[in-house]
Amino acid sequence: MENIAAFSNEQITRDLLPQKFGRRGMIWTGILVLLCLTGAYAYYRQLKYGLVVTSMRDYVSWGIYISNFVFFVAISLVGSLITAIFRLANVKWSTPLTRIAEIIAVSAIVFASLIIIVDMGRPERFMNLFLHGRIQSPIMWDVIVIGTYFFISCLLLYFPLLPDLKILIAFKEKSGKALNKLYRFQGSFWKGTKEQFQISDKAINILCIIIVPVAFCIHTVTSWLFATTYRPGWDSTNFGAYFISGAFLVGAGGVVVAMYIFRKSYHLEKYITEKHFEKMGRIVVLLALLYLYFNINEYLIPAFKMKKPEEAHLTQLFTGEFAALFWFAISIGMIIPILILLFKKGRRPLPVFIAGIMVVIGAWFKRYLIVTPTLLHPFLPMQNVPESYHHYFPSWEEWAIAIGSLSGALLVITFFARIYPIIPIHEIITEQHEEAEKK
Amino acid sequence: MKKLKKNKLLLLFLVFTSMISNTVVGQDSIVAKEIVKLQYFNRNNSLQYLILESILKKGKQIEPQKSKAFKIFLDKDQPENLVAKVMTDDNGKAKAIIPPQLKSIWDSAEQHNFLVVAEASGKEGETPSEFTIRKAKISIDTSSADGTKNISVTVMKYKNGEWLAAKDVEMKIGVQRLGGILPAGESDSYTTDSTGIATSEFKKDSLPGNEYGDLMLVARVEDNDELGNLIVEKPVPWGVVTKTDNGFFNQRALWSTRFRTPLWLLFMAYTIVIGVWGTIIYLVVQLVKIKKIANSTA
Repeated sequence: MENIAAFSNEQITRDLLPQKFGRRGMIWTGILVLLCLTGAYAYYRQLKYGLVVTSMRDYVSWGIYISNFVFFVAISLVGSLITAIFRLANVKWSTPLTRIAEIIAVSAIVFASLIIIVDMGRPERFMNLFLHGRIQSPIMWDVIVIGTYFFISCLLLYFPLLPDLKILIAFKEKSGKALNKLYRFQGSFWKGTKEQFQISDKAINILCIIIVPVAFCIHTVTSWLFATTYRPGWDSTNFGAYFISGAFLVGAGGVVVAMYIFRKSYHLEKYITEKHFEKMGRIVVLLALLYLYFNINEYLIPAFKMKKPEEAHLTQLFTGEFAALFWFAISIGMIIPILILLFKKGRRPLPVFIAGIMVVIGAWFKRYLIVTPTLLHPFLPMQNVPESYHHYFPSWEEWAIAIGSLSGALLVITFFARIYPIIPIHEIITEQHEEAEKK
Repeated sequence: MKKLKKNKLLLLFLVFTSMISNTVVGQDSIVAKEIVKLQYFNRNNSLQYLILESILKKGKQIEPQKSKAFKIFLDKDQPENLVAKVMTDDNGKAKAIIPPQLKSIWDSAEQHNFLVVAEASGKEGETPSEFTIRKAKISIDTSSADGTKNISVTVMKYKNGEWLAAKDVEMKIGVQRLGGILPAGESDSYTTDSTGIATSEFKKDSLPGNEYGDLMLVARVEDNDELGNLIVEKPVPWGVVTKTDNGFFNQRALWSTRFRTPLWLLFMAYTIVIGVWGTIIYLVVQLVKIKKIANSTA
């Protein structure tokens, strides 16, 4: 960021204005649309034939849909980390990353909500949650807190966008008529007066304060969906903190991946510098160590005691059916990224990007391992049930819907980056002025 | 001396090994004996049923014979005298109710033989097991005098074409509870006198009864060689009225319906929701304010 000071306002604006998709952008968007359509077709089949098209049965009633939901909720936490916590802590270097983090948060929370509806056998009864919901149920808390977090994240995305909308409106010839209309609708009232800035800054501060507990709530409540159920692998008082640490890690991993891609695609090397990767690398390694610590707690202590009901579950994870996946998730999601990022050379853009991808992939499979193996090990033995009830491997419809939802989230981020500046223009210019004044 | 000690040890070793080998050989040579037991039950002089138990005795070990089929006959090993075909369960037991179509055979004699024949034993000439039962009836009566409650149980047996008092029949008299029969008086068992009557004083005051205060008195003759098992029951209003506390289901709890949410939870949830959503609304108002400022500037 320190070298931005040398750039003129015009140059910064020109660099950061949204750009049209190039050839690679079109291919990328096309692939995502195709995956989304495949997911939509699979969901159509699920609606037509019912949940029988999935591999979920009486025992495994939460499959990859819920794993995906937990993953989305986890990654959405990044909005509060990068935007709110860094802003409140007056961390200036994170400014170019705030919007990336916020759009990841919004898109993830939208698809977290959608994937829950997909998991419902009778989605037309969704409204019954509100009409007949019991406030005693953690599911109801989750519904409330997800809705709340979505609104707060949208506001946190919108308020800092207002000054940028004014800039976008001014560059009508670059954005085109349709987009300009959209910008005008969203931000034509922003004149950039002192009073408007005062109100906006105050609102952003309030949002930053309020989003932190709400973000903690969203993931803690999601963990309680499991922890309030007395089952091997879920019966833990540690689950809230365990989930939050994991969420921070995957969120930070998601941000470094997005940083690298946006930096490469939009040639933002001047704004997302190696220093950003160095600092984000440090954050990721800290969070990975923290999550590893919680993982050791979650698995070592029950394994040390090896209570009979936990035994089958843990054995399956350590040496049984899920062992390959378990050790893959642990090593790729935590250990290898830690080993890469601990060293200064590992905190360069490419290694950080690779570590980020590992963290995200590892996190997805980790969620799968939290949800599914436990359901295959109930306290009472499985008796007189078809063989298929003893195992779970997602059907093609489940894979298509899960991949479609992940593609949908990426599509939202892609379109957002096409329409709006992915790095806040006004904030960068303001910070440049502030730095210049200091000098 | 040393030699003697050595010999002694050798002798001891030989005795010990011969004992062990004898035991092992002995165990191998023990022939397994199949035992079939049949118990006759008469409940309230109306329902008559039989419980068959099949066990395999091998030395001191007793093992229930699972899934073994038997035929039970009344008096004669004939198809028209068939009581039931039964199959033993995991405990080696099977139950058969004496069917109504055997009433004429039952009424025709004072005592009856039950013949148990194992099915598919592969031993055609196997002698059936026989169990003899004399017809009997049991009744229970109660009386109260000077605050004392008495229970008298009469046992009669059918002999020489008439119902005679059955004397020296041992039985339990008490109150039916979940875990078994709680003795009504101070003694655990009673015996009928020459008139066939056994009497017990009811000394269990303040026993919880049902919603009307009723207790179920029970008299039970168990495994009598001549009469089998006789059971008679009678409800009496001698207990304490038990009121079911349905308030448990009406309380505000985490597991209750949505209309019975705990107040603390409602307070916490609404406080948080109102607090957070109040802030969101405030922020939306700020947006409107920003818009208004723009209009006034224009």
